[in-house]
Amino acid sequence: MSMQVGLPIGLVPGDSFVHKLNPLTKGAWVLGYMILAFTTKSLYLLYGMALVALVLGLIAGVRRAMVKGLAILLPVFCSIVPLQIIAPAVPTPWELAGKIGPLSLYTPGVYVALMLFGRIFSCLAIALVLLLTTHPSDLFTSLAKLRVPYMLNFMLAMTMQLIPVFQREVGIIMSAQKSRGMKGSGFSAVLPSFVPVFVGAIERVQQLSISLESRGFGSQGKKTSYRQVSAGPVDWVVGIAALLLPLGAIYSLTHGMLDQAKSLIFPPTLVVSLFVVCALSFLALIFGAAFLTGRK
Amino acid sequence: MSDSSGPLISVRDARYVYATGNVIALDSVNLTVHEGEIVGIIGQNGSGKTTLTKLLNGLLKPTSGHVVVNGADTAKHTVQQMASHIGYVFQNPNHQLFARTVTAELEFGPRNIGVPADEIAERVAKARDFFGLADYMDEHPYRVSFPIRKLVGIASIVTMAPRIIVLDEPSTGQDHRTTQVINDLIRRLRSEGTTVICVSHDMPLLADVVERVVVMKSATVIADASPREVFADAELMARTNLRAPQITQISLRTVVPQGGDVALGVPELADQISSWRSRQSDRREVRP
Repeated sequence: MSMQVGLPIGLVPGDSFVHKLNPLTKGAWVLGYMILAFTTKSLYLLYGMALVALVLGLIAGVRRAMVKGLAILLPVFCSIVPLQIIAPAVPTPWELAGKIGPLSLYTPGVYVALMLFGRIFSCLAIALVLLLTTHPSDLFTSLAKLRVPYMLNFMLAMTMQLIPVFQREVGIIMSAQKSRGMKGSGFSAVLPSFVPVFVGAIERVQQLSISLESRGFGSQGKKTSYRQVSAGPVDWVVGIAALLLPLGAIYSLTHGMLDQAKSLIFPPTLVVSLFVVCALSFLALIFGAAFLTGRK
Repeated sequence: MSDSSGPLISVRDARYVYATGNVIALDSVNLTVHEGEIVGIIGQNGSGKTTLTKLLNGLLKPTSGHVVVNGADTAKHTVQQMASHIGYVFQNPNHQLFARTVTAELEFGPRNIGVPADEIAERVAKARDFFGLADYMDEHPYRVSFPIRKLVGIASIVTMAPRIIVLDEPSTGQDHRTTQVINDLIRRLRSEGTTVICVSHDMPLLADVVERVVVMKSATVIADASPREVFADAELMARTNLRAPQITQISLRTVVPQGGDVALGVPELADQISSWRSRQSDRREVRP
């Protein structure tokens, strides 16, 4: 029986410059992004990095999938901003921007919220570029060249490949239970779906392990790969350029010049408006999701 | 809920495009099924059979067009609301079984649609006897053999007593005994007035039990006739890459060219051959 469900983030086939880059080159940029994002406090730098990742996604022609992947950040943004405005993650004293009922709203919260969100945003954006433009097998073939153990590599590859399979199974199982009149939400909906999903997963893994062993998995000797990945001069240049990111991180840490906490001023009206808009949006998202789940 | 004289299922100009936007699973499909009909749906993989049946119980809502089942427009009802009208037996029983015992599994559906406890017990007992599950009622559904599990899956829908039952590939991977039980089930449902839609690649099963065959190809319905007409249409079979039951193929090559009828089963073919042979011997006897 066929059934189509939305698959999680995966390769979007293409022939762009980004697609052609060696997976390790792209991996180096993801690593560099993470190091820099979690050391710098500069909003300009964080959102600049995110912008670069978005442009790369645009060049690679993966805009639609990228927007879909980044959409999960909307509730994150809508929750981080109000929480940080109420209780900023910086030492007191906090500058008061205004009051709404019993809630005191503090100006430094906006900067902290934007900084925390910028870190997640930039890292996720560049990670999506890697995931959407790289065939998983190419990534693991490249990692094997770095002498990552074959077994570990294989386990990672299989896990990634099984995610969409399980997601499809969950969709079918939910449909089967709804067809029997099961309510689509609440704790009562969990068990009827949970058991078939896990039993199916265990059976699938058992069959897979037998199938692998019957085809010589675990035998000694050097393994060959069906897919061949090579690194050209462009890959080396772009990969080495990724070193600029950790260098930037070191500069940021040692000089502290990339911290705009004091120089960026947010007017009280903006702080209060941002709080109200984000809090209401978050509530709307939660109730909207609950309503839709109930309808299904 | 439905008008007694009107169709039980009415699909009008139904179109379904998957969310990815690039797969048209159904295109301008029209189908009418009346109460008590036993309809087979055949076609190659990807022709739209399963999508069509999923539109019937509201698991999928048509992108355009209308699907009305037992008077209820599926676009305006949830799957749970449709469940009391139409039961859907999934191909793989593992996708629907979860309870600790077979008994609890059979009770799950009727409980969901609010059937009184005493009636549930009655329905479960009836299903237990019909499907031969008496020895397994206290077993965990995953501890019984796959063919029995398949029967439990079907029985769990039958206990909901819907007016329509959709069977998705009921005989795939089943042994002879299970296939025979499924065969008997369809006959019993027909005698009780239940409408059955059977999606299957098992042509002998369909030839044996259905009275109407809907043929799908490339997201549309391309034929809707009796099994005898459909399986005798060599051009249609070739176009859809389907094979008529072997018995039908033998009759088309032997008795039909001699003026006999298209046979769908062994007894029919045996009768045809027998009457053909007696005609032959009659001719020999009258020869001077």
